[in-house]
Amino acid sequence: MLRGIVLALLVTCLLSGCDRPHDTVFRDRFYALGTLIDLSLYGANPEQQAQASEALVLAFNAMHTDWHAWEAGSLAQTNTQLAEGRPFRPGADILPLLQSANRLSLQSGGLFNPTIGKLVDLWGFHADEISALTPPDPAAIQALLARAPSAADVVLENGQLVSRNPTVQYDLGAFAKGYAIDRGIELLQSLGIAHAIINAGGDLRAIGRHGDRPWRIGIRHPRQAGVLASVELSEDESIFTSGDYERYFEASGRRYHHIIDPRTGYPAGQTVSVTVMHREAATADAAATALFVAGPDDWTALARRMGIRYVMLIDRDGVVHMNPAMQSRVRFETGTPTIRLSKPLT
Amino acid sequence: MTRADWLLIVVVAACLPLLYARFWLPAGPASWLELQAGDAPAQVITLSPDRQLDITGPLGESRIEISGGKARFLSSPCRSKVCIHTGWLEHTGEVAACLPNRISIQLLGRHPRYDAMNF
Repeated sequence: MLRGIVLALLVTCLLSGCDRPHDTVFRDRFYALGTLIDLSLYGANPEQQAQASEALVLAFNAMHTDWHAWEAGSLAQTNTQLAEGRPFRPGADILPLLQSANRLSLQSGGLFNPTIGKLVDLWGFHADEISALTPPDPAAIQALLARAPSAADVVLENGQLVSRNPTVQYDLGAFAKGYAIDRGIELLQSLGIAHAIINAGGDLRAIGRHGDRPWRIGIRHPRQAGVLASVELSEDESIFTSGDYERYFEASGRRYHHIIDPRTGYPAGQTVSVTVMHREAATADAAATALFVAGPDDWTALARRMGIRYVMLIDRDGVVHMNPAMQSRVRFETGTPTIRLSKPLT
Repeated sequence: MTRADWLLIVVVAACLPLLYARFWLPAGPASWLELQAGDAPAQVITLSPDRQLDITGPLGESRIEISGGKARFLSSPCRSKVCIHTGWLEHTGEVAACLPNRISIQLLGRHPRYDAMNF
């Protein structure tokens, strides 16, 4: 008996030393869509790795050109045609993107509003480098708000798009990244890749696993260096965070960030960050923005309406608002914050 | 309980701290820094000795500080300074980037605690 136990322990200790080598994850990085795209592949062979990298770079660069909010491309051309108010046949590359954005916008009750490009531009966020030093003239904000651009203003009839509101200008900054990640994952799957993460500037979708365990994701703290919490993702799941720290400028000691509340024309003021987990990255992206705008008092109703099952919202006092399903999956890494638990979302 | 049972209990109890350290403690100090400028292939450098590196991007020079096994953007010619506000990277897997200057840094190590960072 004793010899058996000793032998078993010895074998266990030896096996635990047989760690998988670190390089089982293939990684590649490139710049597109105004951010850093990080690809991780587990278990792919060298040929798949090379194919995946090349195909993703090409696909993301094409999407970057087509969907850019303020550089010349399909979206800019579409915006010009929408402003003219005449029906036109949109490019095949742009139509599914706009339809998907419109559907999510309507579902969010307009809190995710991709048609407020003129407002975003007025705030100075249509630039790689934010140059605004002061908020815009309140009268200019009110003038745009009075025209109330909305996804409902854009109609598709017989394959032709027409806008009933000349103020509509698409800015897909809160959506294109998610949509692109979904297309990227489809591309990887078409190459036979089963285990991967596409991370676009901190927002990502993961498929499969990291060997014998799920993919582990750290959620960065919104107000200090380091990690706030971690989660393990299921076999096909996205995690997106919208935060007031991503793009902003400061004027007179106040922070003006890029998530504009379409109802007020000003940056949404009650929320610091919202993290959403959902299968499709495009939905997670739009929902994170909409829930950020909804804020700590109204996020649960909106999450239910958008079919979102996992939400973590941090308000400006640092209180963490979560639904019970999210709490069961989040592990706080640097002390437990004050948590306000909602009723279940489903 | 036989003597073997007792021995088993003692051995398992002795192993618990090791298992805790292996699976639950934050990842140990990273060993390398991966540095990427533009679309050039990433370079992997060691985290010792302490030093500062000037990396040239399209906007100018970004200065990276390496100290005590940590790394951070010390200065960068971008306007928003998001890279500098990210602060020190301490754990394997953490990443900071200056998008306007197209420079990114990430800590690498043998046992990354996270496969990716969400922010």
